[in-house]
Amino acid sequence: MPPLDKRIKKFLKNSIRVAPKISDKGELAELRAGLVSQYPQTRKDAIKKTIQQMTLNKDVSTLFPDILKNMATNDIEQKKLVYLYVMNYAETHPELCILAVNTFVTDAQDPNPLIRCMAIRTMSMIRVDKILEYIETPLRRTLQDDNPYVRKTAVICVAKLFQLNKDLCIELGVLEDLQSALDDSNPMVVANATASLSEINDMDPNVIDLKTLIQSHVSQFLMALNECTEWARITILGALSEYSAKDSLEAQDIIDRVTAHLQHVNPAVVLATIKVIIKNLPEVEISANGLTMKKLSSALVSLMSSPSEMQYVALKNIRIILEKYPEILSKELRIFYIKFNDPLYVKVEKIDILVRLVDPTNLKQCALLLTEMKEYSMEFEPEFVSRAIQGLAQLGIKYSDERFVQKILDTLLELVERDQDSIKDDCCISMCNLLRHSPSNEKLAEQVCSLLNSWSEPDAILRTDSAKCNYVWLMGQYPQFFPSLQAKMDIFVKLFKQEESLTQMSILITVVKLHSKLPGTMLQHVLELATQETNELDVRDMAMMYWRCLSMDNSEQLVNDLCKTIPPQIENTLDKFSPELLEKLLLELGTISSIYFKPQSDRRRRTITYQNIVKGKHIDELQDLAKNEIESKGNNDVLLDFDDDDDNGEGDDDDDIEMNSTSNGNSHLADLDDLFDFGTAPTTSEINNGVSNLNIRSDSSNTQSQNNPKLSSNTQDLLELF
Amino acid sequence: MKTRHLKLFNSYVPYQSENPRNLVTNKVISIMASAVYFCDSKGYPLLARRYRDDIPISAIEKFPTLLSDLEEETNLVPPCLSYNGMQYLFIQHNDVYLVAIANSMSANAAQIFAFLYKLVDVLGNYLKTVEEESIRDNFVIIYELLDETMDYGIPQITETKMLKQYITQKSFKLVKAAKKKRNAARPPEALTNSVSWRSADIKYKKNEAFLDIIESINMLMTQKGQILRSEIIGEVKVKSRLSGMPDLKLGINDKGIFSKHMDDDSLNNEGASVASSTTDKKKNNIELEDLKFHQCVRLSKFETEKIITFIPPDGDFELMNYRLSTSIKPLIWCDMNIQVHSQSRIEIHCRAKAQIKKKSTATNVQIIIPVPEDADTPEFKYSHGSIKYVPEKNVIIWKIRSFPGGKEYSMSAQMQLPSIGNIEEHKAKRPVQIKFQIPYFTTSGIQVKYLKINEPKLQYKSYPWVRYITQSGDDYTIRLT
Repeated sequence: MPPLDKRIKKFLKNSIRVAPKISDKGELAELRAGLVSQYPQTRKDAIKKTIQQMTLNKDVSTLFPDILKNMATNDIEQKKLVYLYVMNYAETHPELCILAVNTFVTDAQDPNPLIRCMAIRTMSMIRVDKILEYIETPLRRTLQDDNPYVRKTAVICVAKLFQLNKDLCIELGVLEDLQSALDDSNPMVVANATASLSEINDMDPNVIDLKTLIQSHVSQFLMALNECTEWARITILGALSEYSAKDSLEAQDIIDRVTAHLQHVNPAVVLATIKVIIKNLPEVEISANGLTMKKLSSALVSLMSSPSEMQYVALKNIRIILEKYPEILSKELRIFYIKFNDPLYVKVEKIDILVRLVDPTNLKQCALLLTEMKEYSMEFEPEFVSRAIQGLAQLGIKYSDERFVQKILDTLLELVERDQDSIKDDCCISMCNLLRHSPSNEKLAEQVCSLLNSWSEPDAILRTDSAKCNYVWLMGQYPQFFPSLQAKMDIFVKLFKQEESLTQMSILITVVKLHSKLPGTMLQHVLELATQETNELDVRDMAMMYWRCLSMDNSEQLVNDLCKTIPPQIENTLDKFSPELLEKLLLELGTISSIYFKPQSDRRRRTITYQNIVKGKHIDELQDLAKNEIESKGNNDVLLDFDDDDDNGEGDDDDDIEMNSTSNGNSHLADLDDLFDFGTAPTTSEINNGVSNLNIRSDSSNTQSQNNPKLSSNTQDLLELF
Repeated sequence: MKTRHLKLFNSYVPYQSENPRNLVTNKVISIMASAVYFCDSKGYPLLARRYRDDIPISAIEKFPTLLSDLEEETNLVPPCLSYNGMQYLFIQHNDVYLVAIANSMSANAAQIFAFLYKLVDVLGNYLKTVEEESIRDNFVIIYELLDETMDYGIPQITETKMLKQYITQKSFKLVKAAKKKRNAARPPEALTNSVSWRSADIKYKKNEAFLDIIESINMLMTQKGQILRSEIIGEVKVKSRLSGMPDLKLGINDKGIFSKHMDDDSLNNEGASVASSTTDKKKNNIELEDLKFHQCVRLSKFETEKIITFIPPDGDFELMNYRLSTSIKPLIWCDMNIQVHSQSRIEIHCRAKAQIKKKSTATNVQIIIPVPEDADTPEFKYSHGSIKYVPEKNVIIWKIRSFPGGKEYSMSAQMQLPSIGNIEEHKAKRPVQIKFQIPYFTTSGIQVKYLKINEPKLQYKSYPWVRYITQSGDDYTIRLT
């Protein structure tokens, strides 16, 4: 018995080697056999299995020629499968698709519209510019097809073509066809043409004049709107929201014509309709607005019974709309009450809307919301609770009545006393905000301070920078209510270096402000810390300034003047958009940018990336490329196999490989040549050429196999190799 | 000198290109997703369809890390994530994520989510359930559907009934595959017609239409019986088994729909509309809010004439839904009394009352009462139904199969609490949830007055059927204090 470690080694060696390769090679061979089987059903199954492997990220590109042989079939299901396969490799192995180009051209004339569509759709996805040239005739023909199903596919192909090769697209003149598709009798074609045009406009705004096009087709759009699929409606509504009405009459007309779509079951249609209405609303006379507003309101409310993700988008958009039309949902507060099974991201947004929505002149509503918020602040999800506590303060500041503020403060105090550390930060900030709102109310201040004073280690209890900053600020503002002021300040000063900028600043200001109440050494110490030990420039500058002031003759007076200024009473803690931002956001309702409140028009326009486009190669060259790639793959399969089998007999190997790969390659070549009928039949010299290529390659088989991964991914490399 | 000249030239360019065309705002109408992925519960891709190549192939590989990184930090995971200029929008269904990636912020998020939901719906019709296993078993058909439902990121056709006519791959879960005529798979003529949801050659021996009116009640109550929020969400579902291209007209007792011709002006005048609503109540008409209609309903006709007319798709579909936020009293009310004797036991008393008409009966009533996680050894006393303790969910469920109107049932439960530990902990305060169904009854009082079926060519006799049911919505709860 050999020693254990050797046994383990041997075991590992065997298992590592054998497992992947056998299955890999075996499966490919098996699939290949299936693909060329004489029984149609077996072939079809093999194609399905190949697609399965492809989905599992296995490289089955070597089967390309075998799959293609199954393309010319009357069985439409099988044809679809082949197209699926081809489409998948259209992206990663564009050069392989050249092998199928002939079939594409034929299929684009098939009597079955489904096949015509598949052909044109696939063709326009292949990133080889020479192939794109073959697209001209099929694309033109399908753009004028009798069948609207084909036309609606073809109009999108124009945008795809444009992305792949703008110049060619312009040269072919299909853009004109695309523009005239806006007048198509079929609404789906109109919608897709619109989408396609807007895509093109997005890639290059100078090619077509989208705005004028939309302008001249408004009536067509409004007509088509009632007759097309939900998705087409969204596109058309999108186009309408780009259009600025000429006068109030037209704006009113547009509103009237689209309003019906507020009642569509698809929430995205509803949101697109809302966008069109909001765009036109400022143009119309105010007297007619009441009814429209009512309808908008109920449409917004209805979005709250859509799936959570949709609610999330809706809530973000409601936030934007509310800022423009604050009264729009004033009667619908309860709709935004939190449901216990709402996901967290919806809950948090709902609180935001609730606080914004509540009518500050309506005590009953505010009181109701207060109890509701109190309920939320006793939940357990920290993010939600934190938002609810902030919401409480915002509510108090919004309603502003002193008794109400007192009530809110009581609630907050109660919360703090529940002795749950995680909420103390938010409570501290919220209470300080309330005090900033009613600075003259000493009673409130006393309550807050006496509670906060009871914390023996505020620096350990509070975790965030802004909470600590608020705590220190409070001490500076109401030193009389902090019996243990000096001890508390000591703690903060001791940890000065570890604090973040807001707290450092706050400590500095407070110490300066209270320098007469605190020992002089502390002032000196803090000024030193703030000038020498901090990395925060603002803090350092501030400290310098104070230091100068303090060293002047009338320092006492000066510092008092500096510190005595009473901060302005805060009226509102709800953030607002700037008017420009708001207008931009209103035009982008429903988009991702409306979720982040970052209008797209502010940012750099999206860059179009062309990946993997094979350019500037002749079609023969591409054919060779394709052949070579498959051959090399075929070779490598075999090579690896041989490597595996032998451990020491490298000397004899070369011949074997050469033999094997040549024959292998030959059979491939023959296969491939069957597929090509670009006019001239392949001459024997071409084959010979191929074979000689192969010989060269198999001589350098070692380098080849190392380069294998690169080969398959990058054709450029491949070319250089020759 | 050279550089300077260049600079000047450069700065001159924007001025030069100042033709009216360039002033067009470059906003985008409907940018959609660049790719759609099905991912497993961890976020690793199972299947992908890339519609455009403007995102790197590796983009999806970041998704699982994005998810797990975020989940580590917080519970707050929004349905859209942004990374490296890529926008990931996703929904969850069973154990899979459906992820759409867009490379621009101007992608229409609402449309993407709506599409993903629709996609689940379509796939559900083909695969029965959409889950990891069924996706793995049905790659081919999913690819086909993905190609048909979306092209270049623009949603196309999502009507399952129509798709089934030309996407006929057998799926593994599908019990009865669509009848397959060899090589007959062509896009149905109707697909691009204005009636894109129905083909003309449907035939039935007996022509019937079934209407189901289902109202779901969402209600949030306090333990004292105060109602914090209540709403009725109604759905009208239709099962159409009608030949040809029938035109249907539905009449319901909605105030807005019926009184339209009587008080045309009332809509413009708040006062008048309030006045008319009181008179209408006598006539037993109700006012539905937020009506939402299926694709097939002629919306503009409804908008102008308040008539619901449509050519239905074949088979089952949801014709319309509506919402009412009128305050209603609880249909099933539970008087809860919970006493926690810390470190020894918890006592629960519950008196349930069916506050509905005597002749109605609530069925399948479930009262789901939360109990502390560490409670054990439950003891129950009850007069009706059955009680079960479900430790996985930390609840006890009281089931009452049949609960006649006006009756009152009660139960009490006692559970032991561990004597040690149990420091005042802050757990989710879960509400009591109640589920029920009340057949032959609608809370809003909605009634179908008529359903006229007219097939102009075939002129057959047809039979409309109506059924009403009220049930609890997903949020019929009593908040415990």
